[in-house]
Amino acid sequence: MSRLITNPTIIKELRQRLRERRSWLLPTLYLLVLSGTVSFAYYFGTEVEQQAIQREVQGADIGLAIFLTVVFTQIIVLLLMAPVFSAGSITIEKEQRTLAGLLTSLLTAPQIWWGKFVAALLFLLLLLFSALPMLAVSFAFGGVEPMQLVRATASTVLVLAAICAVGLWCSAVFRRSVHATACCYGIVLTLSVVTAVIFGILMAHWESNAGPGGIEGPPAYVQAPLFLNPLYPLLSMDDPTFGQFSYPWSSWMLFAALGCLSAALAMRRLQRSGEQL
Amino acid sequence: MIEVDALRKTFRGGRGLNGFSLRVESNELVGLVGPNGAGKTTLIKILATLVPASSGTAHVDGHDVAGDPRAIRAVVGYLPDVPGVYQDMRVGEFLEFFVDAFRLKEPRRTEAIQRALELSELRNRTEDFVEQLSLGWKQRLLVAKTLLHQPKVLLLDEPATGLDPLARIALREQLKSLHAEGVAILISSHILSDLEDICTRVVFIAEGKNVSEPPASTVSSGAPQAVIQCEIEFRGPKETAEQAAAGFPGAHILKSEEGFLLVELPGGAREASSFLQVLLHAGIVVLHFDARGPGLEERYRRAFGEISR
Repeated sequence: MSRLITNPTIIKELRQRLRERRSWLLPTLYLLVLSGTVSFAYYFGTEVEQQAIQREVQGADIGLAIFLTVVFTQIIVLLLMAPVFSAGSITIEKEQRTLAGLLTSLLTAPQIWWGKFVAALLFLLLLLFSALPMLAVSFAFGGVEPMQLVRATASTVLVLAAICAVGLWCSAVFRRSVHATACCYGIVLTLSVVTAVIFGILMAHWESNAGPGGIEGPPAYVQAPLFLNPLYPLLSMDDPTFGQFSYPWSSWMLFAALGCLSAALAMRRLQRSGEQL
Repeated sequence: MIEVDALRKTFRGGRGLNGFSLRVESNELVGLVGPNGAGKTTLIKILATLVPASSGTAHVDGHDVAGDPRAIRAVVGYLPDVPGVYQDMRVGEFLEFFVDAFRLKEPRRTEAIQRALELSELRNRTEDFVEQLSLGWKQRLLVAKTLLHQPKVLLLDEPATGLDPLARIALREQLKSLHAEGVAILISSHILSDLEDICTRVVFIAEGKNVSEPPASTVSSGAPQAVIQCEIEFRGPKETAEQAAAGFPGAHILKSEEGFLLVELPGGAREASSFLQVLLHAGIVVLHFDARGPGLEERYRRAFGEISR
């Protein structure tokens, strides 16, 4: 167990990562983007909403608007960053010709994978948790329960972990970082857009046959393509705003399965990557 | 220490190993020589557990390469043909990472780092980034890293490539001292003069197979026969020396100067001794007599001259 934490690859990866210029540039840009979205959500929640509904806007409405805006913005931004951190981490060893040194040491392929995975995920978590104070702003306005924050954060961590695992698999398969990163972006795009398009087609078909969804929303088979959409676990939380999406567990389990499968394939590939050197 | 038997490795491109066999004892420093694409790197990669063999067996220190790769890694130090370094790490951090990767515990951990710094003469540069080191110093660092876990066997694939003459000399001295300490070394290189200087034995490989060395006369006449070259420094008339040398059966004078003869004889040490006696009986005052087999370059030419062409 202690080897999971004291894995030398984690220390090496973090040390190298934190020496790069992007180690301070990315968090700065990330927080600037989130600050902008919080300001936008606040302005939209107070000014625009007030004009639209012609009444005093409740603090709870503003709080919920800020919360949802930040939660969705951060998962979208982090989904764009996850391939950069994960898909290049094994290919860079191949490009720099340092992988042979790792593979002929006493580190096993799972240990190398784990070190790369933890380092990639930790940097994303650094970004995620650095935005928590902004999410906490929503508590000042009310309308958001602490449990919602916990579930949204846990859900985001799970999705990011799965995407990092997919990125590492791409990194184990390809020789060049650019190819691995492009492949990982392709997978993220497929999960985000293609699943939504399939859902849209199924939804239209279901509505034309069974009429509008009503309170319960579309049945599970119509929602099924969305289970692999990175935004679905956030949509399907106990939130009245998106009440029709009600299968968060299915989505969480699918992302966990995707992560585990990618991890297993990446480790297997890493074990055999001596021929790529 | 290393036992390779009928090793085969097939790649999609076609090149690999084709039934190569080798045995290296613990007190040997063996050079692996052959043209490009002969299978040297593939053999070393198989022994380093990076590439699985298609068939045949390979054992290092009694462990099966395919069956027990972890045990192999614990006893083998591997230096690839184009080794990479983490440019953005400091020298000390680089060694610390690999000492941890080899799971060395205190006090062995600190000792190993100190020994590596001593060996590479980088003690005063532990805070320097690896990218600041010259190629020669990087190679020293890599050799030191390869030796961190005190391997019993060293597998070196073209370790002198790109090194300046001084760095090459330093590397040779380092390998000689490791050999003297009892480390078995298998080294692949195209720099034959280096191999000639340090190796106890040289093994030829081509097209993935062992190449036996044809004796000198095979190249010209086809009759398999060993040869030996004798350098003689003498005092006395050149003509008398030439006459005596030419009278020895099979002797062939390669070079003749005032006070110096270079003669090629069929056979080995015994024939050289007889040849010396013939010279002495002819009244030649021999000041220096040196009989040796053909140099590695000549042996390489004999082994691969035909193949290369």
